[in-house]
Amino acid sequence: MRFLFLLTAALLIGCGSNGGPDPELAGLRVYHHSADGAPTSLDPAQSATAYANLVVINAYDTLYSYKYLARPYELKPNLAAAMPEISDDGLVYTVQLKPGTRFIDDPAFPDGKGREVVASDVVYSILRHFDPTVRPQGAWLWQGRVAGLEEWKAAGSDYDRPPDGLRAVDRYTLDIRLEAPYPQLLYTLAMGYSAVVPREAVDYYGREFGLRPVGSGPFRVTSYDTARIVLEPNRNWRWRPVDLAEEGYDPDTQAFTGIAAIDGQTPPFVDRLMISFITDSAARWNSFTKGNEIQYAGVPVELVDRVLASKNPVRLAPKYEARYQVVSDIEAGFVYSAFNMADEDFGYHPDPEQQARNRVLRCAMIRGFDWRRRNDSFYFDLGVVFPGVIPPVVPEFDPDLSLDSVTRDVAGAKRMLAEAGWTADNLPTMTYGSVGGVRSRQFYEQFRAWMMEIGYPREKIVLKQFATFGDLNKQWRESRLPLISAGWGLDYPDAENTLQLFYGPNGAPGSNSSNYNNPEYDVLYEQAAVLLPSPERTRIYRRMNQMLIDDCVAVTGLSRTRIAVWHREVLMYPSANIVGGFFLPFVALAGDNGILERAEPARLTLN
Amino acid sequence: MSTVAEELPAAGADDAGSASLWSKGLYKFRRDRTGMWSLAVVLAYVVIAAGVWLGFWATGWADLAGGKWEPVSAQHWFGTNIIGQDIFDRAIYSTKTSFEVGLVVAVLATVIGAVLGAVAGFFSGSWLDEVILWLMGVLDSIPFLLFVAAIAYTLQGNPYSMHIAMIVTFWITAGRLVRGEVIKLKEMEYVEAGHALGLPEFTIIFRHILPNTSHILLVQATITFVAAIKSEVILSFLGLGVKDGMSWGLMISESSQEVLAGFFNNFLAASALLFGLVMAFNLFSDALQDALDPRTVSES
Repeated sequence: MRFLFLLTAALLIGCGSNGGPDPELAGLRVYHHSADGAPTSLDPAQSATAYANLVVINAYDTLYSYKYLARPYELKPNLAAAMPEISDDGLVYTVQLKPGTRFIDDPAFPDGKGREVVASDVVYSILRHFDPTVRPQGAWLWQGRVAGLEEWKAAGSDYDRPPDGLRAVDRYTLDIRLEAPYPQLLYTLAMGYSAVVPREAVDYYGREFGLRPVGSGPFRVTSYDTARIVLEPNRNWRWRPVDLAEEGYDPDTQAFTGIAAIDGQTPPFVDRLMISFITDSAARWNSFTKGNEIQYAGVPVELVDRVLASKNPVRLAPKYEARYQVVSDIEAGFVYSAFNMADEDFGYHPDPEQQARNRVLRCAMIRGFDWRRRNDSFYFDLGVVFPGVIPPVVPEFDPDLSLDSVTRDVAGAKRMLAEAGWTADNLPTMTYGSVGGVRSRQFYEQFRAWMMEIGYPREKIVLKQFATFGDLNKQWRESRLPLISAGWGLDYPDAENTLQLFYGPNGAPGSNSSNYNNPEYDVLYEQAAVLLPSPERTRIYRRMNQMLIDDCVAVTGLSRTRIAVWHREVLMYPSANIVGGFFLPFVALAGDNGILERAEPARLTLN
Repeated sequence: MSTVAEELPAAGADDAGSASLWSKGLYKFRRDRTGMWSLAVVLAYVVIAAGVWLGFWATGWADLAGGKWEPVSAQHWFGTNIIGQDIFDRAIYSTKTSFEVGLVVAVLATVIGAVLGAVAGFFSGSWLDEVILWLMGVLDSIPFLLFVAAIAYTLQGNPYSMHIAMIVTFWITAGRLVRGEVIKLKEMEYVEAGHALGLPEFTIIFRHILPNTSHILLVQATITFVAAIKSEVILSFLGLGVKDGMSWGLMISESSQEVLAGFFNNFLAASALLFGLVMAFNLFSDALQDALDPRTVSES
């Protein structure tokens, strides 16, 4: 009997503790963020995903960063003391580093004390992308651009003998010499890939370095697993008072958040930053609405009609409006499915006749895809469907481009297949790679149903599931699947960032997972790559875009409208676009648990 | 069973009892109204599954037959899901999946359990018995879901990873039951007669002893069948089960997001059909167990 009593008491206590605040966090100012996926590595050289970038740019320093509130996005110096000096021919960039920045204390350093970040650390961090032993993923950013990198790699990747194109002139001065003008270079220096790592830590932790970040960023990682990462402010970072005007504050569109309260105040405004990785949107929403768990989430597609009072403009229903803030914007990126052109069943083929038939097959499949319905099913019907790979968010977007490639035409697709001699018997099997989970499966089933409608036998659209997105991504990178169904978030606001996805030399395992290899396209890409934004460059971009459409390389595309909600006591203006996560150092908490007592509730109203 | 009687008159008493066991069991089962009703329900499910298998109905389970979340209508009896698939078709199609999994797992697990259990029982106390018991103990000690996850991961996308995991796990119960029964049976006179006639040991085990455990195996197979169906649903719900097909578990998994939006059709359809089958099979299994229980049969 006593045992039963104790058991019951233990269960009740257990239940109670689930709903109450964590005593360990008592008195701390905690912001609990969430993401819909987990990073597989926090090594900047492997930070290919948005999930990794979210953390990497907060645990590490980058030379440049994005202004917190400026839209369109604008760069600002971060670890760099100022914007770079650029030579007249645009080939040499000289960057001065801020002195006095230190890596966090870590056993990797002598006596465990973090040392100062110097220019040679930047050199080392970028060179890692050209060291095959690192298994890097960001080489495409600088390959063929920065002088001498290829030769350095070919010569054995000796870090003690850096290439001429990437040189630490002195302790705080970095010279980058380009082979040709590269207008996007500065954007790459704000990405997680270029985050500055100390060589001691890489050597000390070896393969575990991806789990043990040692950076000089605004936060330091205190724990990390597949469910959650916990960070604490790096008190030795270059915190300085917030100048909202300098950060691009626009009262007309951003005052409703209450962030004006942080103007002139010095961050960090939180003692702990927790990021939970919750893949399931329903679980994420439940955690968000519970009140004492995550404070930031997206709106699950199933709940849009309940949560929103209106979709355009996005406004919360009264029940939620009292408790949460909301912001929506078109993503800087898009979702698409690209064919693996190295797959002889769908892409290039030694026999020109078969290659032509494969093109017809791809075009027919593209015509069978129903973007309108995909938008309705999974993107609140708020996404923007567009042809090609230049999304609406970049200035090179062409609103007058024909919508034929994104307009469903089942009869036309069937006719194309019949004319090219494709029948149910000779159509190749399409292996559809996917991660587990309800949504991924629904994507697959919807795709399969559409293909069945144009004549594809059901048994020839085969699902192959992978345990994690990392596993699936690896398959894409190794060209093992015929179709790459992915989302691409722009690394920087320039269409070049999406067009490079199809640039031949970037072929797998590079960013061109589709292995599209069109010499004419590549020539145009190289021509445009050295041009500053101009009508001429836009014309080239659009021509390349049309080539992709004509060659039926990808089922594309749709830019999603992101709807982010967060608790009202959190003062922030979040953004998941571009590298994402650069708003986190500015997050503040209002109310009893926050330092910003002067952020009266009256100021926290919707505009 | 008749083969036993022809070849081994010495086992006649037992054969007569065995024949009597089946006929009396059948008689008793037919008088069990709950058992008969549950059998009728199970047979109805069998017909549904067979119809799906033969392509008579639910052929459009993968088609986009309607719009997003259409309500119940004459065209869509259980409405449609988020991508417009007919929920009724998918629920009916899932019956076939359940029977496929249930039958494959029940038959193979029972056969493996019978063979290994009989061998262990016949050679009880020997090293062979020790090895089989050790194997049972080891497999029993691994948490089922972890075991399935490990096998699924190891087999990387193999559509039968779930079946393999269940078979490897479920044969143990049958094995233990058969082992115990064989230990009892091997002391009986007809077995001694078999030894005296010089029959090989494995002939004695598989032709003369094992058939006399068939009533246990039949009941155990029905229990395994139900367990396999339930496990399939749970595993599919967790993403470890059916990969390329449809299952009630997948439907319930799908519904976990839809119920937030107040859309319960997927959940209700899958749960109702699952409940009906599992309940009916459980009752059928209970009735069968009662009917074939030698103690109650002899009383009757």
